[in-house]
Formats: sequence, C-alpha cells, structure tokens
Amino acid sequence: MTTLTKVEDAPNPTGSDAFLSVRDLRVQFSTEDGVVKAVDGLSFDVERGKTLGVVGESGSGKSVTNLTILGLHSPKTTTVEGEIVLDGKELITASEKEMEKLRGNKAAMIFQDPLTALSPYYTVGRQLSEPFMKHTGASKKEAKARAIEMLDKVGIPQPQTRFHDYPHQFSGGMRQRAMIAMALMCDPDLLIADEPTTALDVTVQAQILDLLRDLQQEFGSAIIFITHDLGVISHMADDLLVMYAGRAVERGSTREVLRTPQHPYTWGLLSSMPRLGGDLNEALTPIPGSPPSLLNPPSGCPFHPRCTFTGEVAGNRCADERPSLAEGRAAACHLSGEQKQTIFIDQIQPRLR
Amino acid sequence: MKPIRSRSVRAIAAIAVAGSLALTGCSSDSGNESKDRAKTQDDAASQQKPVQYADAAASNGPAAEVAGAKSGGTINVYVQSDLSHMDPGQIYVSDAGQFANLVHRGLTNFQEDKNGNLKVVGDVATDSGQPSDGGKTWTYKLKKGVKDEDGNVITSKDVRHTIERQYSKVIFDGPTYVQTWLSGADYRKDLPDGPYKGKHLPDTVLETPDDETVVFHFNQPRPDLPQALAMAGYAIVPEKQDTKEKYDKAPAALGPYKVSEYKAGKSLKLVKNTQWDAKTDSVRHQYVDGYNFTTTIDQASQTKRLIADQGEAKNAIQWTDAVDTAQIQDVVSNAAVNKRTVKGYQPYVWQMSFNLDKIKDKKIRDAITYAIPAQAMVQADGGRYGGEIAGGLFAPTLPGFDAKYDPYGKLKKPNGDLEKAKELIKEAGVKEGTKLTYAYSNSPRGQAQQVIIKDALAKIGFDVQAKEIDRATFYEQIGKLKNPYDLYMTGWGQDWPSQSTVVTPVYDGTQIADGSPNYSHINDPQVNKLIEEALKLEPAEAAAKWEQAHKRIVEEINPAAPVYYSKTIQLFGSNIGGAKYSVESSYIDINNVFLKQP
Amino acid sequence: MLQFLIRRSISAVAIMFLIAAFTFFLFYAVPQDFAALSCGKNCSPENLAVIRENLGLDKPITTQFWDFMVGIVAGRDFAVGHCSAPCLGVSFKSGDFVWDSLMDRFPLTLSLTIGGLVIFLLFGLGTGMLAAWKRGTVVDKLASGASIVLSSFQIYLLGPIVLGIFVYSTGWMENPKYVPFTDDPSAWFIGLLIPWAVMATIFTAQYTRMSRSTMIEQLQEEHVRTARAKGMSQKYVFFRYAWRGAMIPIVTILGLDLSSLLAGGVVTEFTFDLAGIGRLAVESSLTKDLPLTMGAMLFGAFFILILNILVDIAYAFIDPRVRLS
Repeated sequence: MTTLTKVEDAPNPTGSDAFLSVRDLRVQFSTEDGVVKAVDGLSFDVERGKTLGVVGESGSGKSVTNLTILGLHSPKTTTVEGEIVLDGKELITASEKEMEKLRGNKAAMIFQDPLTALSPYYTVGRQLSEPFMKHTGASKKEAKARAIEMLDKVGIPQPQTRFHDYPHQFSGGMRQRAMIAMALMCDPDLLIADEPTTALDVTVQAQILDLLRDLQQEFGSAIIFITHDLGVISHMADDLLVMYAGRAVERGSTREVLRTPQHPYTWGLLSSMPRLGGDLNEALTPIPGSPPSLLNPPSGCPFHPRCTFTGEVAGNRCADERPSLAEGRAAACHLSGEQKQTIFIDQIQPRLR
Repeated sequence: MKPIRSRSVRAIAAIAVAGSLALTGCSSDSGNESKDRAKTQDDAASQQKPVQYADAAASNGPAAEVAGAKSGGTINVYVQSDLSHMDPGQIYVSDAGQFANLVHRGLTNFQEDKNGNLKVVGDVATDSGQPSDGGKTWTYKLKKGVKDEDGNVITSKDVRHTIERQYSKVIFDGPTYVQTWLSGADYRKDLPDGPYKGKHLPDTVLETPDDETVVFHFNQPRPDLPQALAMAGYAIVPEKQDTKEKYDKAPAALGPYKVSEYKAGKSLKLVKNTQWDAKTDSVRHQYVDGYNFTTTIDQASQTKRLIADQGEAKNAIQWTDAVDTAQIQDVVSNAAVNKRTVKGYQPYVWQMSFNLDKIKDKKIRDAITYAIPAQAMVQADGGRYGGEIAGGLFAPTLPGFDAKYDPYGKLKKPNGDLEKAKELIKEAGVKEGTKLTYAYSNSPRGQAQQVIIKDALAKIGFDVQAKEIDRATFYEQIGKLKNPYDLYMTGWGQDWPSQSTVVTPVYDGTQIADGSPNYSHINDPQVNKLIEEALKLEPAEAAAKWEQAHKRIVEEINPAAPVYYSKTIQLFGSNIGGAKYSVESSYIDINNVFLKQP
Repeated sequence: MLQFLIRRSISAVAIMFLIAAFTFFLFYAVPQDFAALSCGKNCSPENLAVIRENLGLDKPITTQFWDFMVGIVAGRDFAVGHCSAPCLGVSFKSGDFVWDSLMDRFPLTLSLTIGGLVIFLLFGLGTGMLAAWKRGTVVDKLASGASIVLSSFQIYLLGPIVLGIFVYSTGWMENPKYVPFTDDPSAWFIGLLIPWAVMATIFTAQYTRMSRSTMIEQLQEEHVRTARAKGMSQKYVFFRYAWRGAMIPIVTILGLDLSSLLAGGVVTEFTFDLAGIGRLAVESSLTKDLPLTMGAMLFGAFFILILNILVDIAYAFIDPRVRLS
C-alpha cells in the first residue's frame, strides 16, 4: 500500500508523483436508447514500474476506461469528462495528432483476443515494424531488426522466419506473444493489458504472465492489467481496483483486497471463484442477479439490488444514497467498518477456505 | 401475303420488354379523321384501277424527277428487327420487299404515278413482256447497259439462273408462282439441284435463244406474268455472283444501292451502287447517298424518336413498322407531327375463317358473321388507324373494290347484329351451350380479340373454347388440314394488285393441302371453275369473273366472315422530302424520298 | 493455389458441358417444330422438309447433340460454309454462325460494362468511403440518402427520363448508339455516355451503400482498433487496414454484377435500343432460335464461371488466409 494515497478529491494532479493519474473520469455514450454512463466518476493512479489490476464483471467499465486513456473511443458518440494525466500531460484535451504520437509509443495496449486484434491481411513483421518506424523514424531494415529482437524476447522461436508469417499461421499463445512484442516495440512507459490471457489455455496463460512480469522488470513500465479473473491478478498486480457499474467500489493493495475484502461485491467475486484444492462438492456461490443496466443505473449504491446485506444498514440508505469511496484503502459501502469485519469473518471467510 | 407472321415475330421482343402493349386508338373524334379517311379512300380508289402493262417507251429511264428533290445525305431507317431475307429468291414479305426495291431489279417492275396509278414496266427487260400463243408464251428482251454492282453485264443466262435456282433447296421462303406455272406444283422434281450441277430446264419451258432474250413457255395462258415477275422474289441473281445460302447475307446489287455492311440483329448500311445507270431505270432514283438501318428500335421507340424529331431522327423514316398504337393520339392530335405521316390501306383482309369440315351449316356461319362486333375487333388492333370494318373479302387495294359492298350489314351495324344471329341459330337448331373451338395467336392482338369473340359468341349461345397458339407457328398449326379447330382469325393480302393472288390461294378448292392458305377448306365447283377461267384472261377482262367469284364466296358459301381491312400510319423526320404513301408497297414510297437539307 | 485453379477450371468445363446438354434437351423436350418457325409464307410440307434438312433437324436428337458438341471442340460444316471451333451452330433465324453473332454483339456489351464499371467503381466506392470517413456528418447523410433513393431507381425508369430530357426535348444529345472504339473513340464515348451514366448512377448508388456499410463494419474490427492503438494515423488505418477487409465483400458483389453485365444487360440494351448480348439472348429465346439461345446461355455461363474463378483469385490476393491455406 504505497501508491494509492491520492483519491477522488486530489486537488492537483500534477502535484502527484503518479505516472498516470485519472481523476473523476466520466465517460458517456449516446445510443439510440439513451445515454450510457459507462464510467461514472472514476479516479486512480499508477506509478512507474508498478502494476494496477482492474477487476470487475463484463460491462463494469474496465475496458472503456482504458480505451479512453488512449483516446480510442469514438469521439462523435462519446463524452469524456474529468482528467487523465500521463506523465504530466493532460490527455482528454490533447489533439488527435498528439494522441497518435503517444499511442504505441509512450503508452501501448495489449488486447484480449490476439486472433481478431491482429490484422489477418499483413504479416506479423509488418504489423510490428509499422509503429516503430512511425514513432522512431527508423528505416524498414532497422524496424525489422527491432521486430525480430522483440519476437525473440517474447520467446518466439526462429523469429527471422516468423517475421514473414501471417497471424493465422501462429498458434494462439504465439499470437499473444507477438501482440506483446508489438506493444513493447517502442519501450512504452505505460502498458495497458486488457485481459491478455483470457483467450489462452492455462499453461500458456502462465507463460504469458511470467513474460509480462519479466518484461516489466526489464523495461520498468507501468502496467494496467484488466481482468475478471482474481486468480490471475493475485500473481500480477501490486494494487487492485474493483469496478462495478462504471465505478470503483474498492481499492487497496492486492494483498489487502484479497485477504480482507471490504465490499460485498468483492466478497461475491471471491466466493464465485473456484480454488485449487477446494472441496469439489462445495458449491460455488455466484452473485445473485445480473449486472445493472448502465442506461438506467440503480439509485443509491449501484450494487444494492444484488446485495444481501442491505438489511444491515439502517433506513433505506443503500437505495437512496450513493456511498463514497474514501481515500486510500477503502470500499464504497454503507456498512460500517465493524460490520464489514464481522460479516467477512463470520459469513464470507468460511466459504473461501 | 401474310405479314402477320413475320411482323409478330419481330414484335415479340419489344412486347416482352415493354411488358404490355396498350391497345388504344379508341378516342374522341378529331378534325383529322374525315380528312384522313378521305385521303385513304383516294389512295384506295387509285388502287381499284386495273394495272396497265407498259411498252418500251414507258420502260426507259430515267425516272421522272421528284419535285424539289435534292441529292446527297443519308437516310436513317428505324426497324424493330432484321429484314427477313436479302436473297431476292427468298423475299416474300414487305419489309424485304421495300429493301429489294432499292437493291434488286427484276425483269419487270411497278411504276406508280403521283396519283397512285400503277403500271407494269420493263425493269431489266425492255418492256412489260410480249405475249404470244394466246398468253402461253412470253418473251422478254433485256435492256443494254444493266450491270451488277461489280460491273458484270446482265444476260439472259442470269435470268434463267434466277428462275432455276428457285427449284433448288437453297430457296424455300419465296413466291412459287412462276415455278409452278412453268413446271407444276411438284416443280422441284424437275430440277432438284437447281442450276448448280449444270442441268437446266428444257427450252420448251424456259428458253434463252441469245444473250438478250428470255422466253417463258406455259401450258396455259398466264396473263399475270408481268406482275408476278415484278415481285422481289423474281429479281435477278447473277449466275457469277450466286453464293447459294450465303447470298442471303451478301447479295449483289443491280439497283441504285448496294449493301456495304450488314450486322445481323443490329444494323444494315446501303450505299450508292455506282454501276447503276439511271438511264436504264424508269422507276428508281438515287437521291440520297445511302441508308443506315438500325434494326433494334421497337415501334414505341421509333415513334418517340420521330415525334421528338431531334438530331438524326430528322433524317429518319419508319420502314414497314407503324406508329406505336399507344402513341397514335400524340401523333394525330399534333398538327406538326401529323404532317409528317403517311397513311393508307394495307392489302390485308382480316377474316374469321370457318373450318368447313367442322361447321358445315351455312346458317351457323352466317349467324357468327352477323354476331362479330367488327368495331371492337378494329379497336383491338390499333383503332381507326390500324383498320377499317370490312364488308367483303376483297381489300380496298384490289381492283374492283366496292366500298358499299356489305352483304352482312357489317358497316351498318359495326357492333354486330345479334338479333339476326340469334334468329339464324334458332333456324339451324343449335342447342344452347354448343361448343366451338376458337384458335388464336398469342400476340397482343390475338389475345385482345379472343376476349371479344368469346363474349360475342357466348351471347348467341355458344360455349367457346379458346385455344392459344404460339404466334410463331400459328399459321402452320391452322394450316394443317386435320386441324382440330372450328374457327380462327386469318389475314391474307394480295401479292400484286390482282384478285388472282387472293382468290386462287385462299378460296380455290383445288389448292387445298397441308400448309396451304385455304384455311377454310372451301371447295366449291362454281368458284373453282370461275378461277380457272379468270386466270386465263387479261386483268381487265378477268375483273368481272373475279367479282362473280367474290359474291359467290361471300354470299353463298361464306367460308370466312369479313372483319376488317388493315391500315397503316407511318412517321418520318422533318428533313425527309417527297414522302408519300405508296400504293404498290403500301408503305412510305421508298422511290420518292430525299433529304430536304442533305 | 495453382492446383486450386486447375481444379476450378476443370469443374468449369464440366459445368459448361452440363449447361449445354441441359439447354439442348430442355428445348427438345418442348414439342415444337423448329422448322415451322423459320417457315415463311409458303409453308407447304415440301418447304418444311427442305428447312428441316437445311437446319439438320431431320437427324435424331442424339446425333444433333453429338454434332453440336463436336462442333464446339472441332468446328463443323454447314451449307453456308465451315464453322470453325468454337462452333456453337447456326442461327435458325438469321443463318449466321452463333459464335460470330455473339462476337459481333460482344464489343457493345463489353463497352457498356467497362464504361459503366469505371464510373460506378470510381464514384460508388469513392462516395461510400467518404461517407464512412465522415460518418454521421452532413456529407454522410447526403450520400446515404441519395444512394438509397437512387438505388431504388431502375434503368427502365431512369433511362427514358434521361432520354426525354437530353434527347427528345432539348436535343442536346443524340440517341445512344454504338460506334466501335477502334472506328472513332470520341463517337464511341459520346454514343454510350447516356447508357453509362444511367447504368452507373444506379450502380454507383448501390456501391456507395455497400462500400459505406462495409467500411463502417471494418472500422469497428478489433484489428483496426489495434492499428490505431499502435499510433497509426487515421488515414493509414482507414486505407490500409479497414479498406483491405472491405474489399472482400465488394469484390464478391462486383464479380456477380460483372458476370451478369457481361452476359448482357438486357434492360439497358432494350431501354436504349442497343444490340448487345442481352438483346440477342432475349430475342433468340422468344423466337425459339435454339442455337442462338444456347450460345448466349453458354456465353453467359462462361463469364459467371470465369468471374467466379477471378473472384477467388482476388480473394487470395486480398486475404493471405485464403492464399496460404
């Protein structure tokens, strides 16, 4: 617990020593059915050389947040408010030209499904070389050498020949390695990995995770690691941000959040996760209900319709009042600290053992 | 002549694309009507005079100049599809006949004065022919200086070749009069390979004593020979130029124009034939430099273009197609456009032919004749510019036409006389609901008229079974002797202005055969005898016999109910000069046209 | 790839053979005396027999079919002369060799197709891509709206309107006509301008809609987003990444359109009184000119098969997954 000292009301983002600082980010899409509040008042920081894990169900706003950081949202249908400061530079107001210079260079992204995320029409080599040439002004030859170097680094055998292959000639794990190599071509300071291992089988997953960790140590990049898999995150992240309905509901160091989770939603996530060595006959406990519609989010705490502990809170606060997320290690919940601890120890922890 | 077949085939494509052909023409009277009627009756009147046979003086060229004619320029010709044939031996229908007039020359030709009076003159021959032996022998001398397009002088051998090649299998679509007169109905057996294997007809049949003389020997008088020889079918095919089947694509010209380019289904270009000598020709002119045919323009489009009269359409004419029926009103109601039309009778008489093998009681035939609403039938074929109610079976284009002849009161009661018809049906003892099989062609006209006939005959108690026949084979189907139909609409037109070319093929009982145009199978000894006698007489003397035969056929036999005479209306561009209706061709007079501003 | 092409070519030949056989026997299954169709005014039994003999209709059907198939490969002799391979027979009606008739008509059909193609590809793809690029703007709305309206037009409607304005009432242009390019390039161009414009207008509208929607679809592809995430410029992403994928559906439709245009644009030809393959096909089938109909059908089938193969080759060029599988 070192980085997450600044919170929603941080007065001066530039005063932060964070490499990336997001403040009160609001992202709204206008659709035919109405306005979707995909991200609603999100704040977090990431430091150099550290990994921030972002977890949450699909549709919780994880991916949107990260696309917004790189400005990859559709400008016509999306409204973005708040602040995104990367290395002292405001990104929301930055021009498209500036963003182009930044993307793939200072900040790179690794996507979930490498089969669809790589163009089927061009060779892996070309797709790797392109951003390098663009950002560094390198020649084709230099770009090729760099690409082969990176392919080698991510563990692709015979990178000289594989350079000329097309993505469909690669296996799934190889494609993901190539994807990572592509993201690392220009030594990015920030790497956003959007569920980079979801499409892979478990052994390959582990290799990729190891690779990412090794590379982080070598390059010293900051990583935002998005996943819905708490198992994966425990190996990767230094800090953790739990998102629900476009908001952060809990934050803290990975260790804290996983050991002593404070938010009923986090409890639900942990309970619904199968564990190695667990009793096979023991039923998993899924979170009841389904994620809320972001077109028309629930009043008060967005989790209250699915929360089993609303009765513990006096009055109708859960439905009426939106709980705030305090600074540092915190959870956005109306339960008191004591209640949280009691419930966790009495009801939740037994299920996790 | 049966224009119906060839025209309907050509019209198919246009109809298929246009979807439907509106049969209009039924419209309020306009001021033009009486004038138009008067004019066509004028033209018809001129056609009533018997044709004269002209001497050498009248046969000498050059032809009288057309008033105001200028030389030069090219006339654009709009046609819906290809000419049926270019080999003269194969030419029998009018589209190709018009073409033949420009390109081919025969022994004789029709000369038409500005009043529409017809004369037969010598064309390649010096005169219309010298008969001897009571009309059984005809002698023709050839003019000097008649050459084909390559400059070869035409000799009597070429004339013999022309006749003899009609005996071979190369020719199957042309007229058969002269061959039949020379060698009988089985003429092909006399010279199965034509002249192509070195054999010729004996001198007792066709004689060429020297290079300039041809003598025809018949076993009976053939007074109509000069007119028969004027048909395109007997135009000269020079022996040296004959390429048999290929000749139909590339004929050698003797006339003022020759084929310079022919593309099947697309276009045809005629240019001046420099070997043609005006001094040898008393009929044709060579005013324009050539004719460009576009053979892809349907009637609707032809009419549209000519009404608009823009650009190349100013120099354009219709060939044998008529104004689109749907646009007739646009044409006749616009004085400026109406001025650019030729109107006149065509030689066809539409009649309801009865199969006499099936409908044997004349009372029934008469009843049906009375019942047919002739006016409605005309409306279904283009209205008053497409036809006129017929009283008899002789067209207004035939000598001896009597406009008042109306034994069944069709003119007086254009919608039919149902009272009279019902009376006759009662007398004949026909039971209500008796079945009649009516065969009709699946052309738009045939289909429209079928409805009218079915309805009219139902009113007098018949249950009409209408049987549709593909228009392309309609005449072949009903031409079968053992056809299963009771009645059918047929049209027939003269081959030359003589009753012999109507009565003989259509009503002569001795001509009954599969494929013969005697569709009613009439075989009346009296009629047969009158025909036999009339054929031996000069046209003027024969007239009375033909009239007698006509009355006998219409009033006493009634093998076919007269329905209507066909008419045509054609448009031409504003730069076309000398345009007039030709009595001989029954279309625009192609010998007369020129460009006002070449 | 080569193997694939050989395999495709062999099956194309087999399909052509089947089409030939099918048409041939289908026509003869209809009880129809073809001789009667060419029989003119003197349709006596004798003349019918002469025609039947001239057309070879007196032989058994199987012999006729054999002669026909042999003619395609080796040529054959007719009364009008030797018909060299590929001999598709002689028209019942005109007596011309079918192949010659087709070759005579083809330049017009080819000119119509190529001229129209150049215009509608240029404008259609251009407008469609512009609309996709400017998605949601006035430009896009105008282009999409106009293309929806125009693509619901038909040549037989638009053609007469254009003729009415430019030819019949103002006389600014002549009626369309075909002059071979080799005779007079400018007359060729002017003569076909109206048909091209009309045809291309409708096709342009269709291709605008298609290219717009496929481009938009492609722009939403993940790999296109990846390219942007790499910092590639919008233009680069648009023309390199999205366009490459959009070409596949466009090439597919283009192949279909081209093969039907080359087999003869019937409506265009009749609307403008032009004589191309389409008119030939329609007229021949209406006059039951069997050899010509078969010829036109085989000709059309040839283009469909050829273009199918060409489209497959194009796929291979565009998409390495096809090329390398």
